[in-house]
Amino acid sequence: MTDAPSLTRRQAALGLLASAVSLSACGKPAEEIVPYVEQPERIVPGVPLRFATSLALNGYGRGVIVSSIEGRPTKVEGNAGHPASLGSTDAFAEAAVLSLYDPDRSRAVREGTRIASWDGFLTALRPRLRRFEATGGEGLRLLTGHVTSPTLLRLMGQVQARYPAMRWHGYEPIGDSNARAGAVLAFGRPLASLAQLDRAVVVLALDADPLGPGPDQIRHARGFAAHRTARWENKAALSRFYAAEPVLTATGAKADHRLAATPTLVRDLAIALASRLGSGRPAPVLPPEAQRFLDAAAADLQSRPGEALVLVGEWQPPEVHALAHWINARLGAPVEHIEPVGPAEPPAPLDALIEALAAKQVDTLVVLGANPAYDASAGFAQALGGSGAFSVHFGPYHDETAALCRWHLPESHPLEDWGDLRATDGTASLAQPLILPLYNTRSAPWLLGALLGTDEATAHAAVRDTWAAQRPPETFEAWWRQVLHDGVVADSAAPRVTPPPSALPDLAPPVAPAELTLVLRPDPSVWDGCFANNAWLQECPKPLTRQVWGNAAMLSPEDARRRKLSNGDVVRLALGGRQIDAPVLVRPGTAPGVVALTLGYGRRRAGAIGDGLGADAYALRSPDAPWIMAGLTMEGTGGRTNLLFEQPDRRLEGEARALFPTVRADELARGESRPPVWPPSLNPDRVSDTHAWAMVIDTSLCIGCNACVIACQSENNVPVVGPDEVARGREMHWLRIDTYDLGPPEDPRPGFQPVPCMHCEHAPCEPVCPVEASIHDAEGLNVQVYNRCIGTRFCQANCPYKVRRFNWFGYADGQEYANQGAPVLAAQRNPEVTVRARGVMEKCTYCTQRISAARRSAEREGREIGAREVVTACQSACPSQAITFGDLKHPDSPITALRREPQHYALLGHLGTRPRTTYLAAVRNPNPAAEEGGS
Amino acid sequence: MAQIFPRYANTLARAVLLGAAVLLVGGLGLLIAMPYTSHATRQDIVIEQPIQFSHEHHVGGLGVACRYCHTSVEQSRFAGIPPTHTCMTCHSQIWTNAAILAPVRRSLAENAPIHWQRVHVLPDYVFFDHSVHVTNGVGCSTCHGAIDTMPQVRQVAPLTMGWCLDCHRNPAPNLRPASEIYDMDWKPPADQAERGPALLAHYGIKPEHLTDCSRCHR
Repeated sequence: MTDAPSLTRRQAALGLLASAVSLSACGKPAEEIVPYVEQPERIVPGVPLRFATSLALNGYGRGVIVSSIEGRPTKVEGNAGHPASLGSTDAFAEAAVLSLYDPDRSRAVREGTRIASWDGFLTALRPRLRRFEATGGEGLRLLTGHVTSPTLLRLMGQVQARYPAMRWHGYEPIGDSNARAGAVLAFGRPLASLAQLDRAVVVLALDADPLGPGPDQIRHARGFAAHRTARWENKAALSRFYAAEPVLTATGAKADHRLAATPTLVRDLAIALASRLGSGRPAPVLPPEAQRFLDAAAADLQSRPGEALVLVGEWQPPEVHALAHWINARLGAPVEHIEPVGPAEPPAPLDALIEALAAKQVDTLVVLGANPAYDASAGFAQALGGSGAFSVHFGPYHDETAALCRWHLPESHPLEDWGDLRATDGTASLAQPLILPLYNTRSAPWLLGALLGTDEATAHAAVRDTWAAQRPPETFEAWWRQVLHDGVVADSAAPRVTPPPSALPDLAPPVAPAELTLVLRPDPSVWDGCFANNAWLQECPKPLTRQVWGNAAMLSPEDARRRKLSNGDVVRLALGGRQIDAPVLVRPGTAPGVVALTLGYGRRRAGAIGDGLGADAYALRSPDAPWIMAGLTMEGTGGRTNLLFEQPDRRLEGEARALFPTVRADELARGESRPPVWPPSLNPDRVSDTHAWAMVIDTSLCIGCNACVIACQSENNVPVVGPDEVARGREMHWLRIDTYDLGPPEDPRPGFQPVPCMHCEHAPCEPVCPVEASIHDAEGLNVQVYNRCIGTRFCQANCPYKVRRFNWFGYADGQEYANQGAPVLAAQRNPEVTVRARGVMEKCTYCTQRISAARRSAEREGREIGAREVVTACQSACPSQAITFGDLKHPDSPITALRREPQHYALLGHLGTRPRTTYLAAVRNPNPAAEEGGS
Repeated sequence: MAQIFPRYANTLARAVLLGAAVLLVGGLGLLIAMPYTSHATRQDIVIEQPIQFSHEHHVGGLGVACRYCHTSVEQSRFAGIPPTHTCMTCHSQIWTNAAILAPVRRSLAENAPIHWQRVHVLPDYVFFDHSVHVTNGVGCSTCHGAIDTMPQVRQVAPLTMGWCLDCHRNPAPNLRPASEIYDMDWKPPADQAERGPALLAHYGIKPEHLTDCSRCHR
């Protein structure tokens, strides 16, 4: 009797299976069209809308334009009107759109470990606020990161006025306290200085990395490019860069002369240079090599008054900053000074809060946009745990600090709510929401409003109130609309101030040289750790090292040899009683005696992507010397880990010069302008009667910043493969930045070479494809037809540039890494680009969807495509404008002239592939005097 | 020894062999022909919609213009399906209580969109753009047929790649002047052989590149 129902169920199941098989085998799946009930104005289904907004890095705003397709933000691009973007982006801005859809974002209010509600939080907060009103806020503490937002500053001012005894603490793991302290030493007040690289012809970077990651990277890169764009027709002098630094940076890689110098030597160089310029202080004795470097640099700097500039990195102690101010004043250097951007009076430091917590003086702590339990010294977590304070964490993730706080409130993503920010030069910009909050999240103005006793404060009203207070009401609405359109508040840059004559600092006696010095740096992929859960950034090869999915302790080859260490050996780093284990990465160009580690790894509660990767450098950090710490001990543990790279480190036996040629500026001046010459070929020439797309990449300008890599990933639905697949040598980036070390290990002279598909006219991938999935179109694009591809991988084997990527698994199609298959992430996909399935080859398409969009728009309007109408994603992102794309057939296209430059070359051009992507060789401008000296 | 096989065994064996061959050829033929059948192309299949909207009544009978509802056809790849509000421009005044319109009224009242079933489905790796077609001389009825006679919209063309390429290889016979794009009764005039090339030149169409893979696949 019991068999009968089960038999029926089986029959039903078989019947269902049969119908499913027959339906899926032959018919197309049913699709729905769901129109609006009421279509919003300006929305044309299928046509993206673009909105100007701002994204923050370290609290400073960068203007961006975000594309929204049917209400979904999908792509971030630069805002040409914003002084910190100038139309370009960096890797962090490009990746912001992935963080928006991060499945690990906090979605609910939590009280302890329980899910709670916003109302529940308000109920808990109200009695405390009533008490604070009586006591003036005694025991109320606010902890924030660096705040530049005029609205947040205004609201915090109101909170302070309401509770006069409240104390506001600020903590930013990558702050600018050394630079501020240096300005106080030099000028008597903490002026911020803005170096103008576009007006500098000789630059000495003393442990400074203006071209490296940071809120000002784009502006500096554009300034750098202004004097490094070597063109045959433009005979203006090129700038010359000198860099002395303990660990190789982008600036050091681009410098004409570089000295691997320990932090102490960098300080000595600054003192010696000041002495040379008449400081009257004794010059320290320098090693011969450093002396030669300084002699050449000093003579060069002195020969270009008004155009010579000395930069000092935040990592150096305040006295070196003060010295640089004095030197720059002597040189008449192009540096502008402004009052610091942010609060008029700096907030109290974190240490004071830790002391107060430990002394149980804190009744209520509100943490806003900071994660001190991870990125501050261990004291915070202990003090908070024992304080019994009513602690509230407000942030986008349930992170390390949230786990320690009594309440956690989820914060909206910057693309989800209103806001405003100031850039490093003080320019204000508005942030407007591209989408309603995906989850039940709120933004900081709401929380500050709650502290002020209003439960329903909105960010929109708060931002409008801030700006309306400064305008006449009758013109405000028009002004507001204009600012929203432009993304920038016109003429809002901080007024330039003339600094008082800079004083020479008192120099502390030199410290005895330590055997090993630990140097900490922000990470180019995850910055201070706040981007740790962004899979695009984690898989983005770090500039120079090409490492992905982790960090490592970088050593000079000399130290590694002496200590018998090699890549991947795990060492124990100990400093002042604190210790961590980290794998070793031998990086030529690191100063001997220096161990360099980047911040932002070793996250414990970042999410599914960022947890447990790399070594936590914060554990070694001491609050009094946050960047450079002498007295490190390092010993091997005997363990090994597999470091992951996207470009294996190998010696090229002299081929590097052919793959990455360099030209000296004087040789270039003697060169001649001529069209590219190709080797003879038996293949028939392609006769083109339509557009002929081509790309030229100027390797002189490329600073290896990875903005293009992430831009390509975001535009073209390039999936993340995850560390295990990277370890197998599989990666999907359509554009990689190859790094060549052209010099000996002690002076590696790296060069950056972005490599997209070459779109060869005689493409080796095409004849080997058995199904013609790899094929040329009339406009010169080497196209990959996914629906034809059967995955033989012959094309990949035959591609001399190794730019083809194979979907070994359904990286974007059902077998995603970790949580990357979450349905919410599908909203980020660009609907104009196919999401590739397993078993299919793919590669750079020259953003064929953008070419198609331009072509269709031209055909609709009955006109030709404009000379600069098609802009590829990588080109639009590039901060130094190293990438040019265009139509060889168009008379006004810039590409033709670039292909006639004397330094123009084709990568592996001797193979006869006739690539459409070609390069301009890196132009170096060494100082002849220094070269004769052997530097 | 007695015969094991009866006489008819020979016939049977031949029949089985022949049957196998027929089955093989027929099976292969079926597999080849399958994609062209209406079962695969969904040609001429009427799909049930949440609302029995009749193009025959609205377009053929009342003369509502195509672009009254399909507003984005000249600007976007997507022709546009009207929002509920467009229906209610008239139906808030006429047939306000008709049972057939209950789902429309419910959509407006509950602010819940109507879920239409897609009739013309292209694979995801095909990127078709309505706007370039209608602004370059390809009329609605060339692909969608006489919509004004259809009480329920059905797909009249097979929408196979071969069918697309027929026109992409030689668009001239199907091109119309811009004034006749939305004419449902358009038939190629007798002198289309002369008009076609003139229209090609007028629209600036270069048919030799219309079959590039990257035109439709990316």
